[in-house]
Amino acid sequence: MAETVEKKKLQIAIYWGAACGGCDVAILDTDAFILDVAALADIRLWPLAVDGKYADVEAMEDDELDLVLFNGAVRNSENQKIAELLRRKTKVMVAMGSCAHIGGIPGLANEFSRDEIFNRAYLDNPSIEEGNVVLPVAEKKVAAGTLEIPHFHRAVRRLSDVVEVEYFLPGCPPAPDQIKAVLLAVATGNLPPAGSVVGASDRALCDECGRSKDEKKVTRFFRPWQIIQDPEKCLLEQGILCAGSVTRAGCGVRCPDSGMPCRGCYGPPPNVMDQGAKFISAISSIVESRDAGEIERVLGEIPDVMGYAYRFGLPASILQRSTRSQ
Amino acid sequence: MNQECRIGVYICNCGTNIAKVIDAEGVRNKVADLPGVACARTYEYMCSNPGQEMITRDIHEHGLDRVVVAACSPRMHEPTFRKALESAGLNPFMLEIANIREQCSWVHDDRAKATAKAADLTHAAIRRVARHVPLEKQEAPYTPVTMVLGGGIAGLTVAVELADAGQKVHLIERESRLGGNLGRVDLTAPYLDSARDLLAEKVVLAETNPRIDVRLRSTLTDLMGFVGNFTATVTHQDGSDTEIPVGSVVVCTGYREFDASRIERLGYGRHPDVITSFELEQRLRSGKMETADGRVPNYVSIVHCVGSRNAKYHTYCSRVCCMTALKYGHEIKSALPRAMVTDLYVDMLSFGKGGEDLYRRTSELKTMFLMFEKEDYPVVRAAEADDDCGLLVQVHERLSGETIDVPADLVVLMVGMQARSDSDQVARTVGISQDAEGWFIESHPKLAPVSTPTEGVFIAGCCQSPKDIPDTVAQARASVAMVLGFIAQGKVEVDARFAQVDGDLCSGCRVCNELCPYTAISYDPDEGRSEVQSALCKACGTCVAACPSGAITARHFTDEQILEQIEGVLAWSTSQP
Repeated sequence: MAETVEKKKLQIAIYWGAACGGCDVAILDTDAFILDVAALADIRLWPLAVDGKYADVEAMEDDELDLVLFNGAVRNSENQKIAELLRRKTKVMVAMGSCAHIGGIPGLANEFSRDEIFNRAYLDNPSIEEGNVVLPVAEKKVAAGTLEIPHFHRAVRRLSDVVEVEYFLPGCPPAPDQIKAVLLAVATGNLPPAGSVVGASDRALCDECGRSKDEKKVTRFFRPWQIIQDPEKCLLEQGILCAGSVTRAGCGVRCPDSGMPCRGCYGPPPNVMDQGAKFISAISSIVESRDAGEIERVLGEIPDVMGYAYRFGLPASILQRSTRSQ
Repeated sequence: MNQECRIGVYICNCGTNIAKVIDAEGVRNKVADLPGVACARTYEYMCSNPGQEMITRDIHEHGLDRVVVAACSPRMHEPTFRKALESAGLNPFMLEIANIREQCSWVHDDRAKATAKAADLTHAAIRRVARHVPLEKQEAPYTPVTMVLGGGIAGLTVAVELADAGQKVHLIERESRLGGNLGRVDLTAPYLDSARDLLAEKVVLAETNPRIDVRLRSTLTDLMGFVGNFTATVTHQDGSDTEIPVGSVVVCTGYREFDASRIERLGYGRHPDVITSFELEQRLRSGKMETADGRVPNYVSIVHCVGSRNAKYHTYCSRVCCMTALKYGHEIKSALPRAMVTDLYVDMLSFGKGGEDLYRRTSELKTMFLMFEKEDYPVVRAAEADDDCGLLVQVHERLSGETIDVPADLVVLMVGMQARSDSDQVARTVGISQDAEGWFIESHPKLAPVSTPTEGVFIAGCCQSPKDIPDTVAQARASVAMVLGFIAQGKVEVDARFAQVDGDLCSGCRVCNELCPYTAISYDPDEGRSEVQSALCKACGTCVAACPSGAITARHFTDEQILEQIEGVLAWSTSQP
């Protein structure tokens, strides 16, 4: 390994925890830039695209890597183990994408206990044949020896709940331009202070959204397909549940500009400690009625409030997880 | 955080009020070694002078920079202890009160558990006070002009007294004459003085004093600004508006009488000789005591509590009807000495100065008193042809247990007082609250009876609740004292606690814009940011909670401070999930 230590090329690893693969695709989505990355860096581990084994990483010196882009949440013992391993081996750890940043879509599982999740996934599910009762177990003795699979943790956690993280790159997935910017910042040594959320603003998305904003008085909430929207006007004012006001700007307003409400993937602005609670508080505040029954009716029409409010950030919220018996 | 602080903690016994349930010494021992606590003491009465001196001495001797007092509700003595801190050179906001009386000793009886809870509350206050920051008060000038809403006896009193004190007053009356409901009354109870005499002088004074600007057929339609610096918009009958800068507003909008036709069995609206107390007043004033068809009545029946003290209508007592009914006994007897007067009452409430005396004198006039059950109003029906009266009033008399038909030529219904139908509009315009019955709510029923949560807006008279003339005038003059207090100061202190928008975090989403009950929030379209005008803000926190991006902070109620408090309450909790 002695010669690699001297080389100028960046040593990077890209890894996924509990993830959908979208962040990896977003890296590929940098188009031709990915070739520059290959020229700029040695990609030492990237399960999606490049060969590389955990054993190779274990064999590295501590801090041998310059950068790890870790996407995905920490759902099981494997996610945690590799997060801790990569942390030891890298100088800079980046929590990439909503899942690593704030828990992401997998974090919604924290609404339920492990038993409820297993029951839904393996037992009570239309795609499971009757009588087929197979639940995953972490260790299984078979004739050839003991088979192991990762332990399923009690709750989904953010990367920063498990290891120290230098930078957070939000988004589901992060915009390719921002991925480029992070790689270039590391390459040039032009790094922001540790702990920064990079590629995002401190203000909420409304700041960058071009739609006209007026005082908000909503008498009914709509899902996007239930209403012909005014393309110029604030979506929330039209009753479309847009999370832009509780979400950091930085994505380039991609969803509202395409007529879709913000779903909150960039996470809360710096002063908001619970994005979902703030979202619920904000939409409750704009219902145009003083009558408790009417307000209840208007808010009651919102389907799956938890899913709307905490779509990406349940593990990062004050609620964190279900406390029902495991 | 706490380690760097020097916190003094004082646990009050409040005589036996706290001590009888809480072991203050036990609380002291539990919190004395918490991080940042420089000294912890217990005392009999922290609010006493020696108690306050204990704090100021410790501030000097121990170099305290923050103080926690575990005692009664902060509504009681927070101002007292703030002053103590100030006198020792500490910023008054470096104080936190743990309410271990109202929230603890007064509501619990298990000594061990109550002491543990008191320790939790004190711990919470210690954690919170460590996050306090000094806040500076602000000042604004006071405009020495007062707006009075309503030209009844309350409003007239306020206007005339203020003008006599040399102050400018705008008296706004929605009707075409001054005098209000008192202008519809003949004599007053219990001394049988003429209401006209009481009023006439005040009306003339109001109309002739150059310092009083009387505006009839006018209403206040908008009130912007804050104490000392309001802009009042008055709308006149012709639809024109006048904007008037005022320092305070005194609301004296009075009441309206209960609609007697709502109680069908009393026959109001069906029998022309069933009349309300106000209609009787009108006849007494004109000196025409007769029935609808011009006969002199031989029998007069007076029914009390019409619309009052009844679960179906109003549960409260209208306070003046019993006395007024006793007064009618006198007035009718003096007009028609041979008439028989019957008082049908629920309870005879002739309290207060001169009340019992009036009752005795009316009894001596041979008025017949019959008692009925609160929810069981008498039934009025036409008499038979061979009766010597026009009406019969059937009453289930409580004391005898008999059902009695009382003869009547005239039935007088003592209609109660109720909030005016436009009182909610008035409340919204001036920013005050109403109770379930629509009466305006004072800041404190005993200690701040004419103040409201909106500084610079006062209430006097029956708009606050039913009351008699002496109480109304007392309230009117109390508001005058409050207003003159402001004028004497010449300036107002603006609370150092208010909501603040961080312009670097505001995204201009405008979720907060519609929410402020005090219209303190404005939106700057050029900057794309919302702002809170601190002098208007009452620190209610509505916008703070609603602000989706966390750009609005309530000074002295930051998330950080509240979370520390919660952590403190839970720190020793054994029941964590």
